[in-house]
Order: sequence, then C-alpha cells, then structure tokens
Amino acid sequence: MSAAQSQISLAAELASICGEEQVKEDATTLAAFAIDDVTPAAAVSPGSAEEIAAILRFASEHDLVVAPCGGCTAQATGRIPERIDILLRTNRLNAVEHYDPGDLTAGFGAGTTLATLQETLAKNNQFLPLAVASPSEATIGGLLACAAQNALSHGYGGLRDFCIGIQFVTGDGKLAKGGGRVVKNVAGYDLMKLLIGSYGTLGVITSANFKVFPRPETRGQLRTYMAEFSSLSEAMVFGDELRLSPLEPLCVELVSPRALEYLADQPAPARNPDDFAPAQPVHVGEETWRIAVRAAGSETVLVRYHRELGGAVSRELNGEEESALWRAVTRFAAAVAARHRNQMLLQIDTIPTAVEAAILAAQQAAVDNNFIPALTGTLMRGTLTVAFVPLSVDPPSAMQFATAVSALRAALPEESRAIVLRCPTEAKRHFDVWDNGSSDFSSMQAVRRALDPKSVLNRGRFIV
Amino acid sequence: MRFSSFIRHLKKICGAAAVLERAEDLMLYEYDGGIHTSAPRAVVFPQTTEQVARIMRLAAENKFPIVPRGAGTGLSGGALAREGGVILGFARMNRILEIDAANQRAVVQPGVVNLDLSNATRPNGLYFAPDPSSQKSCTIGGNVAENSGGPHTLAYGVTVNHVTGLEVVLPDGEVVEFGGKNAGLCGYDLAGFFVGSEGTLGIATKITVRLMRVPESSATLLAIFNSIEDAAHTVVAITSEGITPAALELLDGWTLRAVEAAAHAGYPLDSGAVLLIEVEGLSEVVAEQSEAIRRVCMQQKAREVRRAKNAAESQALWAGRKNAFGAVGRISPSFYVQDGVIPRTRVPDTLREIEKIGKRYNLTIGNIFHAGDGNLHPLILFDQRVKEQHDRTLAAARDILAYCVSVGGSLTGEHGVGMEKNELMPLLFSDDDLEVMRRVRDCFNPDSILNPQKVFPTSHRCRETAATPQITDAVIGRGMQGMEPRV
Repeated sequence: MSAAQSQISLAAELASICGEEQVKEDATTLAAFAIDDVTPAAAVSPGSAEEIAAILRFASEHDLVVAPCGGCTAQATGRIPERIDILLRTNRLNAVEHYDPGDLTAGFGAGTTLATLQETLAKNNQFLPLAVASPSEATIGGLLACAAQNALSHGYGGLRDFCIGIQFVTGDGKLAKGGGRVVKNVAGYDLMKLLIGSYGTLGVITSANFKVFPRPETRGQLRTYMAEFSSLSEAMVFGDELRLSPLEPLCVELVSPRALEYLADQPAPARNPDDFAPAQPVHVGEETWRIAVRAAGSETVLVRYHRELGGAVSRELNGEEESALWRAVTRFAAAVAARHRNQMLLQIDTIPTAVEAAILAAQQAAVDNNFIPALTGTLMRGTLTVAFVPLSVDPPSAMQFATAVSALRAALPEESRAIVLRCPTEAKRHFDVWDNGSSDFSSMQAVRRALDPKSVLNRGRFIV
Repeated sequence: MRFSSFIRHLKKICGAAAVLERAEDLMLYEYDGGIHTSAPRAVVFPQTTEQVARIMRLAAENKFPIVPRGAGTGLSGGALAREGGVILGFARMNRILEIDAANQRAVVQPGVVNLDLSNATRPNGLYFAPDPSSQKSCTIGGNVAENSGGPHTLAYGVTVNHVTGLEVVLPDGEVVEFGGKNAGLCGYDLAGFFVGSEGTLGIATKITVRLMRVPESSATLLAIFNSIEDAAHTVVAITSEGITPAALELLDGWTLRAVEAAAHAGYPLDSGAVLLIEVEGLSEVVAEQSEAIRRVCMQQKAREVRRAKNAAESQALWAGRKNAFGAVGRISPSFYVQDGVIPRTRVPDTLREIEKIGKRYNLTIGNIFHAGDGNLHPLILFDQRVKEQHDRTLAAARDILAYCVSVGGSLTGEHGVGMEKNELMPLLFSDDDLEVMRRVRDCFNPDSILNPQKVFPTSHRCRETAATPQITDAVIGRGMQGMEPRV
C-alpha cells in the first residue's frame, strides 16, 4: 500500500468512527498541530470515550502512533515524537458531568478547559486550587497528564491529592476507570496516581472527578506579604523560619532577581522574540531575592501574619494588585517563552534543604553556558521553575543547551531532578529532556506495556 | 520443593526462632480485626529487606503463597492467609530509620507502630497525620497496604497523601525503589499507586513518609442534637460555610448511649445524635472557626454546643469515639462493622435507609462515622453463634453497601476490600475496569503468589448467573471488649 493510499484509508477509517467533519487532514490545520516539527498525518476529534476506544483499537491493529492532546499548551514537553499518525483531540469531551456543591465534588470531561471548570465552581464560591498561564486553552485531561502544579500547591497539594476518580481508555482501546465520586475511597487500585503525570503514555483520559474547595476568600480576605532579601542565603533563612512558624499560608513563592521582569501582569506586547529587550528593565545590578507569602483570613488572622513575618516584609499587597501578582507568577514560564525564541525552561524538584544548592547549581550552569538564569520556586515543596534565557548577542547552539543541562544535573544535590519543559527542538537531539526518575525503570516499563501493549500512545516521548 | 523443606529454608534465612509452625502458635495468626477459620501454614518474621527478598524468591520459585501482615488490626481480611499461605510478620522490622526534621520526612520500617512514629517526632514539632483508631497498635506497613484513614483525614488526607517513597520487595524477590524523599515526579507515580494495593503488588520494606507540623492550637466541640437528621444536615451546613474542620464525627443516639455506659465520655444520654468536631491551626483561626461552627450548629437546631475546656476534657470526648467499638462489645456478643462511603449530602437519606434495612432484617444497627467525608461505619449487632442471625447480618450489610454504591458512593473508605468485599467489586467496577487493574497487578505479581484471592472477585460466577454478589462469609467482628479495630 502506498503512503497516499494508507493516508486515504486512515482518514476514511477515522471518519467512519467519528464522522467526516471531525477528521482534519489539510496541511495548514495539521501544521498548526506539529509537535517538535513532527506533523500529524490526521487530526480527529472524537465525541465519546467509545469513539476513542475504537480509534485506539484501530491504531493498535495497524501499528499507528497516537498523540492525545487537549489545549496543546504543554506539548513542548517531552522527547521528539517518533511519528504522529493520529492527533487525538479531546476538545469535544467537555461536559460538566456532575457537580454537587454540598459534597464539594465535581466531574468533568477531559476536554473541559480549566477556565470553564473554574467558572462552574465559582458560582458556588468554590474552586480547584490550580492555576495555569492559559486557563482558556489548558484542559483537565492535559493538566492531569502533565501533573500540573503551581504556587497554590503549597497550601492545597497537587492534583494527586484532589483527583478522586478517573476514566480513561487504554492504549489497546479498553474503557477503564479508577476511584469514584466520593472524597474517601479505597476500593480497587488507585489508577488516578498512575495516569497523573503519565504524559499520555498509559491511556487517554476521558473524564475525571475532583474534590473541590471553598474559595480562600470565604475565610476573609487575601493578602500577600512581600519580603525582600539582598542575597539568596538570607531568603533561605527566612524560609526556614517560616517553615518552623505556626503560620499556614496558601502560597510561599521565591522570586529570583532576574525573574522579576517577567512578572508583569499583562503579557508583553508582541515583539521579535530574538531580541532580548525587557519590557520593564530591571535596575542594573538588581540582586534582590523576594519571597511572596499569601494568606487568607480575617483582619485578626492577617495581623498575626504581619507580626510573625516581621521586618523582612517590605510590602503588603491587597485587592487587585495582590491577585495580579499571582496571575503573573503563574505566567512566569509562559512569559519567558513568549519573549525569547531560544529559551530553555526547566523544572527542578528537590527537597527543602537542598533548594539553595539546587539554585546555585542552576545559576552556575546557566552562566557557564551563556544563559541568564531566572527562576521562581514553590519554596517548601522544593519545586523550581527555571528559565535559561539566551544572551541577545549570540544565539545558542544546540550543543550549548545539552552542555548546560548536563552541567546542571551533575551539580544538583542528592534527591534532586531537573526535567526540561521546553527548549528548541534541535537541541532535544543532543540530550534527554527527562532526568533519571527515582522509581524503578523496569517497573515503569512493565506498567506501560500492560496498559499500552503496542506502544501506540506518544511513542518515543516519555517512558519507552 | 516440599513444604517441610521450604520451612527449613525459612529457618536458615531468618533463624529457627523466627519461624512459627506449631498449631497453637499459628492460632494467633488465623484472624485479624475479626474472626476467621483459615490458619496460615507457618509464620515467619524477617528482620531485613534482604531476608524478605530471599523468602520471596524461594516462595515464588516454589509457588507458596505469602501474605504480609503488620499488627493484624485490619477489618477486611487483608492480612489473613487464605488457602493456607505463609504469613510474613513484620514485628521484627519495627525501627524508625531516620527522622529528617528539616525536610519533614521520616524513613521507617513497615513494622513501626503508627502512634510510635508520631511520639518519636513530636519533640521536633512534627507528627504523622493518618490516625486510624487502632493507631496504638497498627503498623505503618499496614497503613500503606490499606491506605488507612482515620478521623483527621478529613482535613489532611489518607495515607497516600503522606507517603513519598517506598522500598519494595517484588514477588520475584527483586528489591526496587519507588519515589523517595522528593515528592516531585519524573516517571510514573509508582509510590502513590502502590499505597492501598493491599499487599497484592509487593512488600514495602522501607517507607518514606511526610511529617506534618503539630498545630499551634486546637479545639474540640461536642454538638448535641435531638434528632440524627438535624445532625446530618449540620454536616453539610458546616462544609457549605467553607469550613473544613480537622475532624467531624457523628454518633447516633443508640451508639452514644452504649459508649457513655462504658467510657463515661460525657455524651448526654437523652440526645438523638452528637457531632464531635475538632478544629486546628493558628489560635486566631481556631477561635473564629469554633465560633462559626457553634453558630451553624445552633442554626441547624442543635440543643447545645459544648467546647472542651482543656486537654483532659478533649481527650475524654475523643476516648468515647475511639473506644466505641469496645463499648458495643459489652452489649452484643458479636458485631459487624461496615465501611461504606456516600456523598455527604446523602447522609440523611442513607441513615433512613439503614434504619429500614435494620427493620427488614430485624437487627439493631448503630451508626458511628466520619461524617465530614461521608464514610459510614454502621455496626450491626448479632450473635455469631446463631447461624441464621449471622446470615441475616451479612445480607443486611450487603444491602447497606449496595445502597451506598447506588447513591454514587463506594464499598470501602478505609478498611480495604481484602477478602471481605472482593466478591462485591462488580457493584462498582465493570469487567473491563477489573481486567485493567488485573493487568497492572500481573506486571508485579503475575502468579498471585503474594496475597492471593484478595481485592479481585475470585470468579465470574456472579455475572454469569446474574446472582447477587455476596459478602464473603469470613470477617465478622467478635465484639470483644477492649479490641481496637481500625475504624
């Protein structure tokens, strides 16, 4: 069978499952869906879990590779795909499946955007403690697959702590589920844990149930205390004291001197991304590290925060200014990506006592390889978002990224890992964007084979 | 290999004193939180990961089933040797290996007792949050296997929310690491997946747990209601106000009278139900939330809301809750405790249904439960010696669980499926769901050497004949005074 013929039969088969109007095969549409310059042969928007199962059974039988996608906001993460025969879009699985405000539980189709989810919950003053740069595009399925986290994870935990049920389709097209609709449940295996952070390699998530939360404003008002330090080590001392204090803030976020210029609330106007021209030029020699502590409560409670946090706090933010800061923190990585073409974004996970050493390692690796380091970090979880910003003068070579990453990994302290969330495609050929995980690799491979026996899903991009 | 030579090998690996095989010794291991007839063929007490690995390798080669066991306080038969397997007891692997206060982590062996860990870390201002009622005796290895809860999981989550890393001996004897002190992911979350797998995937020989800071302040409230309906509505009203107490427990009138007679906790005898509520945190927050809760309770027709004036009063109120099962044991020769979960808004109608079921089967059913997260513990009283009562009890329990599932709930919130409810799993999961779970189990435990015939239905008979799934006639509490099953 020629390539052209197989192309026709692929589109025809997908059309027979989902209807012709749900299959896209024109070059322009497909080019927009390219992942690391790999263009899919067809894109399809199934309307149900059963249709997804039919597509995956077809793919398994014909050795096709399927890349599931939601809002395509995080597809830059992962190795270069081996190939993509079918881009499987979840955009039509966008129903609010149930929402019981009194139970503080809700279920959504995987293609529901985070914005829609939050709007639904906001009607009852509730929310899911997760914020992302593009809530109108990012979908529930995608956020789960990438184990998305943010500053709120400090106070509320991550998706693994509040996803209570999941429905998905295995690589060979079986409908399956784990968990349920209640907040406490130990019946059967916790398949949610496997699917969260599986980057679409164990199954296509079709819907998920969550434990939701009262909005923090219901406790009183929100206030952010901005503490400033002339060095990283001073900031770390403050962090240690905060950890030992009885305070229970919602967020504790570290902002490096260079990160500040990316924390404008509104995205910078479009510009040539090859230029390095900060919208808000940072004062030359800016060396101030900041820790933003966010709390919610009555005035009495907030006065206590003021007292406990003490003299390091230079500013207290309220109202719109306060929420703008946290929107900006959420958009940090996206702002860097929007402004610089040849940037590299990493996530470093470590333990609290190793944060300082991890930051020093990242800064050294950046500077040694002609990058400017900028970072924010959910301090007490030990999660850092690190940007390697290229100098404007010399576009970095592909090898430069590879050298920087291996230098960083070599210098990281014990119990620390660095994964590359985003970098130029050509650089990915020279190093592994994933770090060595702490879990037994052959066990992970065995699980992958059990749920996706033909390696249909995202082949080559994550666990192989 | 013959079994006798397997025993010889076990003695060689762990020492002769670490292997039990006489019938009178094995009797102690034939039951867990309840009564059971199936004795293990032997019990062995390894002391190191290496010994566990050698035992597993030998067992796998010769297909002798192995069942890991902590303190045996479980309520679903998870630590019982079905089909005469060999029990691997963790009494000798009970060391706290490391307390890393700065990172709020501890590394422990599986046999460490839950409360012992909190006692050891309290000088650092830290504690281990999951607090099953059996926390004075149950082990962290058992907590990991069952994903145990407890009253305070309402605010802090169950065991899986507090485990970041595991060293696991797989059924073929291989020793692997899942996760570590670092909670961040790179690869699949196998540590998270392992928690709650009820000993069917591997044996955790080293557990890294998250420790929480001891709160600055706490308050214990007792809200007294004339009717259980009012108490149930109050639960929803409190959460609707945006308040998440650390614990929110409900005892119905019958149960609180039984408890009061035994424990003298200070529950008023003429009330229809009480809510036991705890709030924790900054002293300012505790003061405000206590007041808000008191106001909501009074709006919902509470007769009175008492606040414990000091630690002793608070402990007395909690003693009533934690010793409730022992108290019931004074009244009834046997009892059967269930663990269904429902959406918390369905508490009122579920309680009415339980009452109806009690009438239908002519059984007394007490209610005590983690109301905040809808986790019911109906207590069915009966006499184990009367076969007909025993059968009625099982049928009533099955009806209660089926009702929980029908309103969007679950079969078990914290006791696990084990060999008690495995035949009921089809109420919740389709054949495909179960097959997918089996596939993952088979990655690790392909021959079901480890804890066989647990969690999964043992046959497809129920579906084929369209017969109603039944609770396995195995694990019935025996209402012994002073027993502390995990609830």
